[in-house]
Amino acid sequence: MVQHLHEFVLRLKALLFKRRLDRDMADELAFHQAMLRDKLLRQGVAPTEVDMETGRRFGRASRWHERLRELWQFRRFENLVRDISFSARVLRKSPGFTVVAILTLALGVGANTTVFSMINGLLLRPLPVPASNQLVVVGTKDSDPQTNYSLSEPMFRGLERRRKVFTHVFAFNHSKMQVKGNNGVENVQGQIVSGDFFPALETAPLLGRTLGPADDVKGGNPAGFGVVISEGFWQRWFNRAPNVIGQKLELDNTLFTVVGVMPKQFIGADPLDHPDLFVSMASEPAIHGTRSLTVAGFHAWWLTVMARMNPQATLEQANADVSANSSAILHEVIPDANWIAKREQRHFRFTAEAGSKGFTYIRLFFTKPLMAVFAMCGGILLLACLNLASLLMARGTARQKELATRLAMGATRRRLVQQLLVESFLIAVAGTAAGLVISPLISQAISALLLGGQYETHLDTSLDLRVFAFAALAAIGAALLIGLIPALRATSGNLSDQMKHGQHTTLAYEQQAVLPRVMMAVEVALALMLVVGAGLLASSLVRLYRSGAGFDPRGVENIAFSMDQQPLKGDALLQFYRQMGEGLSHQPGVKDVSFAWIIPFAHMVWDEDFPAPDGKVHNIYQNSVAPAYFQTMRIPFFSGRDFRWGDSGSSERKIILNQAAAKLLLPDHNAIGQFITKKDGEKTFRYEVIGVVGDAKYEDLRSAAPPTAYVPMCQDDQETRSYNAVLRTGGPAAPLVGAAHALAEQIQPGIPMPEMTAMSDTVRDSMSAERMMALLSVFFAVCALIVTAVGLYGTLAYATERRTIEIGIRMALGARRAQVAGMVFRQNAAVALAGTATGLIAALLASQALAGFLYGTSTRDPWVLAGSIVALALIASAASLLPAVRAAGIEPMQAIRCE
Amino acid sequence: MERSTDSGDLIQGTLEMLVLKALLRGPLHGYGVAEWIEQTSQQVLKVEEGALYPALHRMELRGLLKAKWGASENNRRAKFYELTSEGHRRLNAETQRWARLSSAVAFVMQAS
Repeated sequence: MVQHLHEFVLRLKALLFKRRLDRDMADELAFHQAMLRDKLLRQGVAPTEVDMETGRRFGRASRWHERLRELWQFRRFENLVRDISFSARVLRKSPGFTVVAILTLALGVGANTTVFSMINGLLLRPLPVPASNQLVVVGTKDSDPQTNYSLSEPMFRGLERRRKVFTHVFAFNHSKMQVKGNNGVENVQGQIVSGDFFPALETAPLLGRTLGPADDVKGGNPAGFGVVISEGFWQRWFNRAPNVIGQKLELDNTLFTVVGVMPKQFIGADPLDHPDLFVSMASEPAIHGTRSLTVAGFHAWWLTVMARMNPQATLEQANADVSANSSAILHEVIPDANWIAKREQRHFRFTAEAGSKGFTYIRLFFTKPLMAVFAMCGGILLLACLNLASLLMARGTARQKELATRLAMGATRRRLVQQLLVESFLIAVAGTAAGLVISPLISQAISALLLGGQYETHLDTSLDLRVFAFAALAAIGAALLIGLIPALRATSGNLSDQMKHGQHTTLAYEQQAVLPRVMMAVEVALALMLVVGAGLLASSLVRLYRSGAGFDPRGVENIAFSMDQQPLKGDALLQFYRQMGEGLSHQPGVKDVSFAWIIPFAHMVWDEDFPAPDGKVHNIYQNSVAPAYFQTMRIPFFSGRDFRWGDSGSSERKIILNQAAAKLLLPDHNAIGQFITKKDGEKTFRYEVIGVVGDAKYEDLRSAAPPTAYVPMCQDDQETRSYNAVLRTGGPAAPLVGAAHALAEQIQPGIPMPEMTAMSDTVRDSMSAERMMALLSVFFAVCALIVTAVGLYGTLAYATERRTIEIGIRMALGARRAQVAGMVFRQNAAVALAGTATGLIAALLASQALAGFLYGTSTRDPWVLAGSIVALALIASAASLLPAVRAAGIEPMQAIRCE
Repeated sequence: MERSTDSGDLIQGTLEMLVLKALLRGPLHGYGVAEWIEQTSQQVLKVEEGALYPALHRMELRGLLKAKWGASENNRRAKFYELTSEGHRRLNAETQRWARLSSAVAFVMQAS
């Protein structure tokens, strides 16, 4: 060990002081020669012979140097440096190949790194809090396979009291808050958190204090409600004023005192939320007023519950503990025995899952699509590697003479393989670097595509250590995959045979041709799989678009009013809406105006149980709308009449059913004029059916239109409700929101700026996952086709070039040009055919994984399969035609003469 | 490229032993080492420069020798080699090994 170190230090010195080492060696030899000459002269040898004698004994000085210097070198290292510069020279000499190789890999590695960085941000990166591995997410499970992650407030309080395995149990929910400032009201992302939220996350505030259990007692801290703000909000709102603690903030018309500022890296427990305001759960009834979820008790499922375990506890213990105590907790906190019995029938229980990465709902929706996209990217990378490997192999065959010469000159096979591998490593490193450069751009585009508009989220796709490790792994894997087989193939075989046949042999190619062909066939198969996948997803998306929503979203704008916190109530509020509708209808371009409580695809559901005449209870979706809603949305009216502003609270309750609901609730009659009833607790409501309309989709585009009942907004039982104005316009929509705000200011000053969304955007966003997958898969499929075409063309072109003489002889012997072209073309046709057959089988098996993503499309859709095969056949033919035509153009005399 | 024969190893090993022995009496330059071996062996052993210098440098790298630049007897700049403690230890081991080996060879050769 010591000896090795000693040697290493001396060699390092030699490397650093190379000049001095050379000079010393020269001096040492010169000294020896001088001494020798003196001795010979002393012995009486003639001076002329002395020079000859010393020259004979020493030989050339440069060879001496070389020998001695070799001793002092780091042989491996310096060989490597030499290999790298040699490989770089070789690559520079064929820029076409190099550029194609680097671009192909950049695409493959870039796409993979991008998707991996998204997976990293969404699924892998732990929360930036101490000992995040002790965190768990608490959910509930029953006979439904899906775990539910929203709990009610009483359930959470029951869990919070039970701390056997947990040190803290905490809950949170995001809530958009209206902050009153000098320039009007602003909507800010906030979170409602329980008392143990901050203690459990163990992050010190930048200023002041965090919220604690003392802030989360009924009615709030006696000192008033406290709010903790983020560093970003402190900067934006208070300009980093140091005296921010103790200042007042009016949130949702409730007065709060700023008690602390959290540092930038603290993002709470939802990695994608990044709230600016944290308020305690005790203040929820105050800020939400009549629609308080706390007051709604065990009926409102709204809290995400997490916990921090004891350091000694394991996840299994935690899960077993909450599961075993499920029944006890329910009985403790829920007053309705019937309700508990119903749940217990369905084997209701609490569960605990690993929570080190926090909890976000987006994970539930996007994990699968992301994984599918990741698989596609992996396919592309594999394709790129296979492609480069076949190209390198073809090149290796062409370089056989060079390699054989080097072997004959005394290079070991190991050194040659090393040098060839260095070549592929250079390509891989350059490709990966290029891929890393473009990756952030792609990832921004994809995350915009993926999450676009639907959520206010912050998916952190920055490149961290994990992403770099992934990219490095991809590069090394790619280099080995690209280089190893070609290098081993190229350096194997009989040395003298290769020297003899040299570059112009067909023998060598024929012998080695099986492996490249297999690789090309695999490539074709992979490409076909990607194309089939893309075809399925794209045709599913088209079907989804065409399926229709039951209404016409084009030209419909929604303007959302936040009226919950406004003093207007009941009839006055109705009056406000009516005036607003009147005002908006006079705006230029506006054709129809109406109002609705829930707009389609807004991820809100209101459902009630209605009994049918046969006694069966049906779950019916409901909405509260203003007159002219169906006309505005272009939902067909089948019979009966629309609501009128006159259908007010004093008159009989009216209801309009869609066809599906009418068929369920009143199957035998003409529905108009019939009565239906609904029981809500002790009260019974009776409705007169006044109309039947067409079915329209409600929650999302994928699910069929549910049975739906519409009630008039004039008969709304809620005192304050935030309605959306629904407008059909023919002109530009942008000025409308300003006009709406101006109108609102006229009628009732102090109303926050309404928010406008286009219905067609909402429809598009509701398909964002499908759209992203379809777009990406089409993009990948096109890439796969291009890469495959390049590979097919490249290998065939090489192979044909090497057969020039053979083709020349064939033609000299009378082969026609068409025959020659056919012969070359057939070579690739066989490969493409084998690849297509394999790919088709593989695609049929693999496409099952896509079944969950497809809408109205079979995984064996014959049109898609046939189309993919045709596309691949066209591409393969085009790639093979060029070398074939070139082969047909060979002049026999020239070809034979060049030997 | 990295071929070597067994006989070469033996010669190399023996040369290293002789070099160590030559340096036992004090520091010497390369020429001095060669001269001492030739004279002491009464001109039987001729040390090739082509073998001597690689051997010296290899031994220096392995820490058996220490090198220092100094003035020679005729006031020329020369590189002097000197035994390290590791070199002394190696010389002892080599001497014993050589004694065993040579007596064994002699024993075999004397057998009738």
